[in-house]
Amino acid sequence: MAKIRQSKKRRKVAVPIASMGDIAFLLIIFFMVCSEISKDRPKPMTLPWSEFVEKEEVNVVARVQIDEDGQIWLDGYQYDSPKDIEWGVRALTANTTDDEERKVQFSCDANLPKEQFEPVLEAIAAGGGILMAVGEDQPQ
Amino acid sequence: MRKKSKREKKHREGEIPTGSFSDIAFLLIIYFIIATTLVKVKSITADMPAGEKSAQSQSDKTPIVNLRGQEIFLNDKPVDLAGLNERLAALELFDKDPKDRVIMLESARGTAYGNYYQAMASISTNGGVIALVKEDEK
Repeated sequence: MAKIRQSKKRRKVAVPIASMGDIAFLLIIFFMVCSEISKDRPKPMTLPWSEFVEKEEVNVVARVQIDEDGQIWLDGYQYDSPKDIEWGVRALTANTTDDEERKVQFSCDANLPKEQFEPVLEAIAAGGGILMAVGEDQPQ
Repeated sequence: MRKKSKREKKHREGEIPTGSFSDIAFLLIIYFIIATTLVKVKSITADMPAGEKSAQSQSDKTPIVNLRGQEIFLNDKPVDLAGLNERLAALELFDKDPKDRVIMLESARGTAYGNYYQAMASISTNGGVIALVKEDEK
């Protein structure tokens, strides 16, 4: 018994670090491949709330936003009329085959009146997009 | 002088210093980890078919949600948000054909998106297909 204990004490453990660089580069490649550069920046707005919102993976064909000033944005570019949004969404969904590929993320300021957001909703629907309306949890 | 330097150059062994590669790699990883934001937004998915349907062809049985300012009406009867959820859940729309799942959503001028969103969320969660009711353009 005593012999075994002695031998354990004397054993030297070397951490293999030769492949650390390779592992690191593999991790970098993984991050670069998996990363998606965001096409738009968050606009100033107060999001609406609902008790039914759910966290969803962002895999959308386009992002439409209406900020607190009523300006309309599609994938980071400003447009003047809902008709432009319809054509934009139509072009992006033209080659899609699955419903999952037709989701359009829609964010709008909670205080905007119907006259400003409803034409955009209609434009998304007319362009063939499935609405994914962004909101927040019910405030406590 | 010239000859000497040429000879020196020939004999010099060029090696790329790779010792710091792993350090650079780890710095890049740290950069990516810090700079990356995993976006997961909270949202509702609303089925909103395109196309127009005349008022005459709409069935009388199609439920209609009406938003007038802060007030909500279901088939012209005032309800609160919880009441709307209960009534829509009672319709058991998930078991029906898509054409029978249509809920009409009408709103008065000036209705805020916040109120509209809650009605949309309620309809979508209970399996409804939202049909927007447009005002006649005069």
